[in-house]
Amino acid sequence: MHRLVLVAAAAAVVLTPFALGATSAATTGTFTYGTYTDVMVGWDPSTSYSNEILAMQNMYETLTRYDSRAKKIKPLLATSVAKSKDGKTWTFTLRKGVTFHTGRPMTAQAAKAAIARTMKLHQGAAYIWDAVKSIATPNPSTLVFHLKYPAPLDLISSADYAAYIYDTKAAPAKQLPKWFSAAHDAGTGPYTIDKYAKGQEVEVRLKSYPKYWGGWNGGHYTRVVYRVIPQATTSAQLLRAGEISFAERLTPQLRDSFKSDKNVTVTSQTSFQNLLAMMNTASGPLADKTVRRAIAYGLDYQGIVASLHGGGTLSHGVIPPGLLGHSDSITGYPHDPKKATALLKSKGFGPGGKKLNLTLTYTQGDTDQQLVATLIKSNLAGLNINVDARPLAWPTQWDKAKSADKSKRQDILVFYWWPDYADPYSWFINLYHTEKTPYFNLSYFSNPRIDKMIDKAPSLTATNRAKADALYQTLQKQLLQDAPSVPLYDQAYQRTMLKSVGGFVENPAYPNVVFAYDLHPAA
Amino acid sequence: MTEVAALPLVARRRALTRALRRNPLLLSGALIAFLLVVVAVFAPLIAPHPADAGTATNPIESLLPPSWHHLFGTDAVGRDLLSRVVFGARISLRIAGLVLASSILIGVPLGLAAGYFGGWIDSVIMRVTDVFLAFPALLLSLALAAVLTPSVGNATIAIAVTWWPWYARLARGQAASVAGRPFIEGARALGVPPVRTLLRHVLPNSITPVIVQASLDVGGIILTAAALSFLGLGAQDPTPEWGLMVSQGQSYFTTQWWLVTFPGAAILVAALAFNLLGDGLREVLDPRRIERR
Repeated sequence: MHRLVLVAAAAAVVLTPFALGATSAATTGTFTYGTYTDVMVGWDPSTSYSNEILAMQNMYETLTRYDSRAKKIKPLLATSVAKSKDGKTWTFTLRKGVTFHTGRPMTAQAAKAAIARTMKLHQGAAYIWDAVKSIATPNPSTLVFHLKYPAPLDLISSADYAAYIYDTKAAPAKQLPKWFSAAHDAGTGPYTIDKYAKGQEVEVRLKSYPKYWGGWNGGHYTRVVYRVIPQATTSAQLLRAGEISFAERLTPQLRDSFKSDKNVTVTSQTSFQNLLAMMNTASGPLADKTVRRAIAYGLDYQGIVASLHGGGTLSHGVIPPGLLGHSDSITGYPHDPKKATALLKSKGFGPGGKKLNLTLTYTQGDTDQQLVATLIKSNLAGLNINVDARPLAWPTQWDKAKSADKSKRQDILVFYWWPDYADPYSWFINLYHTEKTPYFNLSYFSNPRIDKMIDKAPSLTATNRAKADALYQTLQKQLLQDAPSVPLYDQAYQRTMLKSVGGFVENPAYPNVVFAYDLHPAA
Repeated sequence: MTEVAALPLVARRRALTRALRRNPLLLSGALIAFLLVVVAVFAPLIAPHPADAGTATNPIESLLPPSWHHLFGTDAVGRDLLSRVVFGARISLRIAGLVLASSILIGVPLGLAAGYFGGWIDSVIMRVTDVFLAFPALLLSLALAAVLTPSVGNATIAIAVTWWPWYARLARGQAASVAGRPFIEGARALGVPPVRTLLRHVLPNSITPVIVQASLDVGGIILTAAALSFLGLGAQDPTPEWGLMVSQGQSYFTTQWWLVTFPGAAILVAALAFNLLGDGLREVLDPRRIERR
């Protein structure tokens, strides 16, 4: 027995991450994406709302695509978009000669059927279509949306989730979900599924779709492979050996180790993703706004950013840079332990007062969140607050947060948010709008005045962007006052890739996605 | 006294000093083990930054390489690694102590009873221990730790549950061989109550192998506890547990070598020291081996 233990522990201690048997990314024409957690969580393009976006965005296409660099909406399956003056009727002209991977042509009727199915299932990010009253198809290449209220449909149709156009006739309607989960795709994208190996390191292989409307002239990768490599050190070694073309995320230290490598490029860019600490406004000690504000003053945001070594930047309000409503003039809470102490003392807590016990949950396996949890615990310990920080697998963390029994919920929940289309509405409707049963409003926050402001936002965005911008700024300031949550930092996307990968452009509107078709491999 | 009875104490002590002189491995094992205990006891005095073993952090000084100011460097949130490794000795030794104490307290009485009384008592107790031994120890610990919420206390329980059956078995074997000896029969004939016989005659004559086994097991328990923490099923941050520290240092393995090296070395040294000590003690305390000399 003891020898067994010895061997096991020794193996754990010297766990050197050498991977065995792998396909070489250096083979011309194959782009290998190194990620750190399973890719295909879901297969149904209507309900997909997770990590499968990495592969899905290469198999499926949307009507439009948002270009984060130019801050413009670009045509994709739709060649042009026109809106009526009141912003309630939107006409999309569709690209001709596009076929689904099933062989059937992509027509207005087919596109309508896909969106209608997404709306009917109403899962994941399907809420983005909530403004749509009806869809008309006057001819095979025209799609007309009639809306209940003005909404920026050109932006909505570029969403990262729930906006895929696909062939709903790939299988009989009732069997469609089953058909998809048997590793099938029915998109129009440049790549189609080749092989899928659940739970394997080489999880997903895509191959080019020969009849792709964009054609295959010029340099394109013809194969895309997704490899799941949980350890950042392993990813780094595989990249150094040319076994993968692209590493989604390495530690800042590992990235720095590549700076002198002639064969590797390192990029860093702000993203639309931020890390938030959601505080329980419905039950427990944080139901008291004063205590929440004290916590907000008690956190060392600069310290958190420093420990990330370039992985994140200080937040200015809830909305990250690059989006409507973001303003550097909005400053969050400063780290002010004295003020925090004063606020806590007014409620009988703080140094010398009652000890405050809080539970905090964060996502297991995320080293950044683990760092943040340690720092929060450390910051608050000085204020006589004991934080019980628990790493939980995301489904468990989420279930706990949604428990019907309020006493089972956490006091603070740490998680990321990013928008479903390049617009800040997603944060407000999901995180801060009153919810009868909690789904993503994991602060359980409810303020009718704020609800009303949030409800106004989409139509204002469609009709008057300047006013919408002002509205979002007011909302953020109000939320800082009520403190249902504190943004901890804005995430920076840091990529490491082979120099032979040409044409990579980070597009944070599609988090962590690499549009492989847009790349050109060096000969 | 018969040939299997324990050696007189004086003889044993003499054997011990002789063995220490003859056996440099035992000597070094004993020395390191003693040092570890000293480090654990005086951790707050030895550690240069004792607060870093608790909730303190200093992100501005994160990931500094070893220097005179931080002999072992600093970790990802700027805590002094030396201080954490020093305090880690406390946690590892405490887990080992608690697991051994509970294993011996549960296992030895059960084993003695089974071996001495025999019959259905023996059958019942030994079948129960067989149930526990049927599972690979690490696997059972893992399963238990996964069911309980991860913490040092629960990891200790998870390990203890898989550890005690070995002591029950060991004690049973000893007790069974002693039970048939004439001096026990004599005690029985004189009407000495069974509990008294067990405590006065059977236990002293069965305890030597238990002591040897216990000293050997310290290393194994430290390793198992480290393995559980490494997998996230034991100590939780900011507890300065060695296995947890290795686990947290994993993603810095190739760039900040000190994060895994020092806690890893601490695990290695502790496990090795107690194994040397245990092996040495077995040689000294095994009466048969002494007689052969």
